[in-house]
Amino acid sequence: MEKNETTIYSVQLYIYDLSRGMARNLSPIMLGKQLDGIWHTAIVVYGDEFFFGGVGISSCSPGGTMLGSPDTVVELGNTEVTEEIFMDYLSSLGESTYRGDKYRLFEHNCNTFTNEVAQFLTGRKIPSYITDLPSEVLSTPFGQILRPILDSIHIAPPGGNVINGRPS
Amino acid sequence: MAESSGTDPTVDSNVVENAAKDRTMIVVTVKTPKDKEEIAILEDSSVAQFKEEISKRFNAKLDQLVLIFAGKILKDGDTLNQHGIKDGLTVHLVIKTAPKATSGSTSQNSASSSGTPQANSSSSASSPVPNASTPPGTGPAIQPPNLLSGFGDLSSLSGMGMGSANFMELQQQMQRQLMSNPEMLSQIMDNPLVQNMMSNPDLMRQMIVTNPQMQQLMERNPEISHMLNNPELMRQTMELARNPAMMQEMMRNQDRALSNLESIPGGYNALRRMYTDIQEPMFSAAREQFGNNPFSALGGNLDSGVQPSRTENREPLPNPWGPPGTAPSESRGTGSSTTTSSNGGTAPSVSSLPNPLGINASGLGNGVFSSPGMQSLMQQISENPQLMQNMLSAPYMRSMMQSLAQNPDLASQMQNPEALSVMTNPRAMQALMQIQQGLQTLQTEAPGLMPSLAPGGIPGIPSTTGGSVAPEGPPPPTQGSNPSADVSPSQQQQQLMQQMLQMFAGGVTTTQAVTPEVRFQQQLDQLSAMGFLNREANLQALIATGGDINAAIERLLGSQPS
Repeated sequence: MEKNETTIYSVQLYIYDLSRGMARNLSPIMLGKQLDGIWHTAIVVYGDEFFFGGVGISSCSPGGTMLGSPDTVVELGNTEVTEEIFMDYLSSLGESTYRGDKYRLFEHNCNTFTNEVAQFLTGRKIPSYITDLPSEVLSTPFGQILRPILDSIHIAPPGGNVINGRPS
Repeated sequence: MAESSGTDPTVDSNVVENAAKDRTMIVVTVKTPKDKEEIAILEDSSVAQFKEEISKRFNAKLDQLVLIFAGKILKDGDTLNQHGIKDGLTVHLVIKTAPKATSGSTSQNSASSSGTPQANSSSSASSPVPNASTPPGTGPAIQPPNLLSGFGDLSSLSGMGMGSANFMELQQQMQRQLMSNPEMLSQIMDNPLVQNMMSNPDLMRQMIVTNPQMQQLMERNPEISHMLNNPELMRQTMELARNPAMMQEMMRNQDRALSNLESIPGGYNALRRMYTDIQEPMFSAAREQFGNNPFSALGGNLDSGVQPSRTENREPLPNPWGPPGTAPSESRGTGSSTTTSSNGGTAPSVSSLPNPLGINASGLGNGVFSSPGMQSLMQQISENPQLMQNMLSAPYMRSMMQSLAQNPDLASQMQNPEALSVMTNPRAMQALMQIQQGLQTLQTEAPGLMPSLAPGGIPGIPSTTGGSVAPEGPPPPTQGSNPSADVSPSQQQQQLMQQMLQMFAGGVTTTQAVTPEVRFQQQLDQLSAMGFLNREANLQALIATGGDINAAIERLLGSQPS
């Protein structure tokens, strides 16, 4: 009686390096520690890619933002959650904690969103090197200095459609 | 005995019933998108019973509840044990919206953090206090937002006497702050509340009209008030102001149109007239208001500033590589409609442009490419490739040619048509600007790094020609705003980049335009003491290596037949 009619959907994590390799080369010099990339992540499920940016939660076809193809794809597992339920869930998130103006580069960014959605869908978190990135940067003197500037930056890769928070 | 976990369970009335029995209570966290509750339930309950509890706590109907754990949907017939739901774990809940209008019924208000002051529902613009308790769920402000709360974080940052009831004064203060920190402009523009505000033409119009200087201007030039009253135009202008990339595009089009205009007989005079009648008073009005204008250092002749953008170089521009202060002034005579947008609380259109391009004119030190004059020149170049050609033929290019001659590698690069196209490519220039800024920052942060960084330390920095809209912020290192995929500069281009980097780096660390011979006097002496007697060769080597003695020696040794 358990899985008779439930469909399983596979969930993936797309990881993009926003710095296009520059972080890997420059971070030892600039920050004093090795950062392999500036990670932006998105969840891919039901054939769509979902991510959070300065404009709110957006969706597009997988790899369809200006960032192009992801650097890494991680299989997060499977979920029974249907698309309908998921969209309800996203709408709720988009109205509350993941509105566009809630975006914070260091504390509440695309990776925060992806982490939360991943746990919702599969119960697993995303790899820790991604979520640890802000604190890694902030723990360097350079990061501290740049912080006020960086705080005002909203990353919103063009190419997606914003999911309207209001119930449709 | 009823056992509960270390944390205090929010005890439900149900617990009392079961306390007497010998079963284990567990506390499970139920998380909705907006909310989170801890629910105590018996370990061996079924999902249906769990849902009962939840329905009570969240005030929702049973059939609206969807429970998810570890990616599985919990069906009523299952038990908690079956899914491995234990004490302290989190189960996700989605409350389906189908029967009701809004999802997540209880305590919506508590969920949204009031970190940023939200839009105020007061329609007057004069109540200064940022108000945090607004009805959520109205999304981005539809009501006209309070100007101050629109500037949200910024006003709390400055912490000035924002309690002043005088709106005009506030506006003045705000603008003054803006001028002293161009970065703020892009911050402000990014703020969605501001963007919403700007999409309200009436409000914008009001703001502009209440400005006393504008009123003066309007008296003198009735066309301006006419323009302000045209909502369509206002809307367009505000679109422009909001979207820096679009504005750039628009400016470019205008420039082109204007240069066409110039070729009509008598056209040049018309343009000139247009500038002096409209632009100049506007600018001076704006400038007065803004107090210390970073471009006031550019001084000089306003007229000659206009010409480079539209005409052939009738007069030689002052030497931008000379000491700052004699650099060309930057006013762009591009017509009145774009300058209207400049009065929406921002600087004259000139300085709203540098920000999208990442040029921070006020915070730069000396150096070849970093004087404000040079910046403006670069900006003009990037928008008008024709200007580049003109520049090359202007008399002061001689000094540049001289320095080129001393560094033969660079000279050949500059003549390389490909390299030229790189220089005239606005996005390439933009990228260069960003790099240069990064280097500047580096230089202030870690001066010792510069020599090792410049030569070849940054392989393959792409000169992107891809269309990147609205760069994501000035500092290059942690952002790397080069999203376009194809990056394969030719060998020569790469070399050019390195040479330019060297130039930047060299420009940053030396503060006077002295001849290499004087600069490297000390090194030359050392080299000759070591036995390298060919002064010419020494000098060449030193120039090529930027003053690095060891590298110069290697060079010299390498070039000698052994």
